[in-house]
Amino acid sequence: MKIAYKHLVQNIEENPTIEELSNSLFQLGHEHEVNGVIFEMEFTPNRGDCLSVNGLLRDLSAFYNVNINQETYVDDIDDLLMDFENLSKDICPQISFLKIEIEKVPDSYNGVLDDYFSDLCLSKNNFFTDVSNYLSYESGQPTHCYDSNKINDKIIFQEVEEEYNFKTLLGKVVNLTEKNAVFMLNNQVINLAGVVGGESTACSSVTKTVLIECAFFQPESIIGKSVKYDIHSDAAHKFERRVDPECHDKVLRRFIKIVSDHATIKDMAFISHKYEDVSPFTIPVDVNKINKIIGINLSKDEYITHLLKLRFTVDNNLVKVPSFRGDVKTNNDLAEEVARIIGYNNILPLEIKIPNSKKKDDYEVEKKIRLFLLDKGFYEVINSPFVNLVSEGAITVDNPLDSNRGFLRTNIVNSLIDNLLYNERRQKDSIKLFEISDVYSLKNEIHKRRKLSIIASGRIGLNSQDFSKKINEKYLSNLFNEIFSGEQFNFQQISRDGLDTKLKSEIFSLEIEIKKLSYDFNNYKQFSASPKDYKKYKPISEFPSSYRDLSFLLEDPSKLDELIKNIEKCRPEFLKMSFMFDLYDNDKTGQTKAGFRFIFQSNNKTLTDKEIDVSINEIIKSSLEIKSVSIPGR
Amino acid sequence: MSSSKDILLSESINDRGALHPINHMKDSIMDLLVSFGFEIINGPEIETEEFNFDMLNIKKSHPARQMHDTFYVENKSNLLRTHTSPVQIRGMLEKKPPLAFISGGKVYRKDDDATHLPMFHQVEGIYVDESVTFAQLKDLIYKIIYSLFGEDVELRFRPSYFPFTEPSAEVDILSKEGKWLEILGCGLVNPIVLENCNIDSDKYSGLAFGLGIERIAMLKHGVSDIREFYKSNLDFLSQFK
Repeated sequence: MKIAYKHLVQNIEENPTIEELSNSLFQLGHEHEVNGVIFEMEFTPNRGDCLSVNGLLRDLSAFYNVNINQETYVDDIDDLLMDFENLSKDICPQISFLKIEIEKVPDSYNGVLDDYFSDLCLSKNNFFTDVSNYLSYESGQPTHCYDSNKINDKIIFQEVEEEYNFKTLLGKVVNLTEKNAVFMLNNQVINLAGVVGGESTACSSVTKTVLIECAFFQPESIIGKSVKYDIHSDAAHKFERRVDPECHDKVLRRFIKIVSDHATIKDMAFISHKYEDVSPFTIPVDVNKINKIIGINLSKDEYITHLLKLRFTVDNNLVKVPSFRGDVKTNNDLAEEVARIIGYNNILPLEIKIPNSKKKDDYEVEKKIRLFLLDKGFYEVINSPFVNLVSEGAITVDNPLDSNRGFLRTNIVNSLIDNLLYNERRQKDSIKLFEISDVYSLKNEIHKRRKLSIIASGRIGLNSQDFSKKINEKYLSNLFNEIFSGEQFNFQQISRDGLDTKLKSEIFSLEIEIKKLSYDFNNYKQFSASPKDYKKYKPISEFPSSYRDLSFLLEDPSKLDELIKNIEKCRPEFLKMSFMFDLYDNDKTGQTKAGFRFIFQSNNKTLTDKEIDVSINEIIKSSLEIKSVSIPGR
Repeated sequence: MSSSKDILLSESINDRGALHPINHMKDSIMDLLVSFGFEIINGPEIETEEFNFDMLNIKKSHPARQMHDTFYVENKSNLLRTHTSPVQIRGMLEKKPPLAFISGGKVYRKDDDATHLPMFHQVEGIYVDESVTFAQLKDLIYKIIYSLFGEDVELRFRPSYFPFTEPSAEVDILSKEGKWLEILGCGLVNPIVLENCNIDSDKYSGLAFGLGIERIAMLKHGVSDIREFYKSNLDFLSQFK
């Protein structure tokens, strides 16, 4: 919600700057951005009372002397004789109507009405609607304006369950379904209560006689309607968050005043229906409780002073909650009010000591399995559970984001196959992935199973020992036996038939329920520690990579360390990674051969051979400077 | 053919895999909270409306319960939990105070864009004992934030609203660029929630807090698009060894 700094500050004696006001609003919990001289407010859903200039001023009374007594019409008003029936008083326990006839529709606006449109750069509609919109901004109470000449019969307010077609005043046709609170005229819906009025009774630029409706609707009857019918209105936003049920007289008298500032009023009449008397909500004064909640030491006088600033009253040792604060029900709510005035940041922390609990074993077991797989070159992935495949026992999502995500997966491995193909398309030739996740299925009732799933294909590893070896069942069995020594795993070979790939390397997978695993971590002592730091992410290139292999001959094998260090140090442009894929000691000659792969990739283009040559020559040049190192054939 | 030198050399070339950065972040936070005394508990991702909303004082009319915000399953018989708080409800129903639980895991909301995903991760904690105060909550939050971001980080508490806590707060940290970034939500457990779990709210009070893992991981790793975490791209994952 946009609120102009000017509209607030003109009612504040201390004349705070925009920065001071911004700080005060933050302290009170009103998140916002300052856009020039406009506050773009974002209120929490419990603070419907703040959705207006006056509402914010009431809260700012905590820190400033504010004046929110705008001029209203003070004389007596004739009773309005109108045919109205309320058939749903539980939804609308209070409603008022004001009828005004003016001599001439004004050509231009003045005073607060003019300021409202110019300061907030808003488009005008028609006179009465414009006054209504301004009043909603000033007071927080939405009102609805009917062209009185179009009201030719009894108005009925009721909650209906029948389907109705309703054309809004913005011309949108809505098919009302299920329960809706509406105003009816001649058996037609003329207003979707608390959301938007209808076209058939709307005011226009020539309307001179208006019937203004000012109501309190229970938020529960309004919530969800604007989203359901895709109608976003200021009124719905406010009614959903609760308006002040006791403001009708003041708001409608203010309406008359603004109208009279712009036009001669020929006639007017007013009626208010209040179907239930509600006593102010009270909470016993208990400063000890407030101190115990916040962790401070406030005196009773200080406590009461804070509450009075926010327009609570205290009588007979009872805190009376003002009618606009429907969110305050308990001492915890009052403690929050006090804490807001003190300032959350000004409350001193008190040391907390929580009795020690023991770690959960399942958590530690999973962690060890994950660290073991990390040691073995596996990457952990996390996949969304939403799938489009209907498999036996799959749970249906009633309201999926789209038709491709209408079910919950019943296995993890299908997600891992997608992950594998995704990485193969990105030229990866050694892929080892795992995921641990809950998997749900339906068989009479919902079953949860916590599963470990792995997938592996291609080279065993990117090092001289494993580069030329391909992942197979034996490799995986041996690997898993290191911690699951008593298990007989049934690794599945996944056929590439039907997969969107031309690669041939075998794919193996395993999916198993964790609680069925018997493990022995004592046999495996090499668990890596979790990374202690948080590495900064470098954006990933979507361009293809290229590689070059170099085979170095070392007359003196002891120079190998120096060669490796040189390669690690030498970072020519476009080099993405390098690793040693072959190492051979010739016992007869005493020489060593070391093969390295260098992978090049640019973040913004496909590299040419020439560009790669420049980089690889840099590596060659620095490597050949090491004594006894050569590259056969060069 | 390999040689004995390979053992030495393999240390210089890191051929290990990597934990997923989100799970790594979750582990780090869970380990930190366990060191403070919290006990880890787990609960289902498919929940009932009762545990996900009713017990947490989220009224039937609350917008979060609408079909456009929450995933419902099997003809609305259940839903995908929208937060990890129902796990704490289950914990409080099982154990009497004093109690200190944390739970972490996947949660689901009907969002899908560069900063929101339909599935994301939370870690939440609750501590219920006699005379737990907002000032103590602040102490705990300072400890968590300082552990995650260093003791020189500037933070602020803002009043906020959650149906299950009162008073409620959101905590921001000041980025190097001078921008306040929301890090976590917290508050004193609403007495209604304690009573829902058969805990005498006159005798006991509690504090609760929740952190979005993706948000913290994005900050710590400098990832600007949340979707990167879930592409399972080895070029991405291998950066977090």
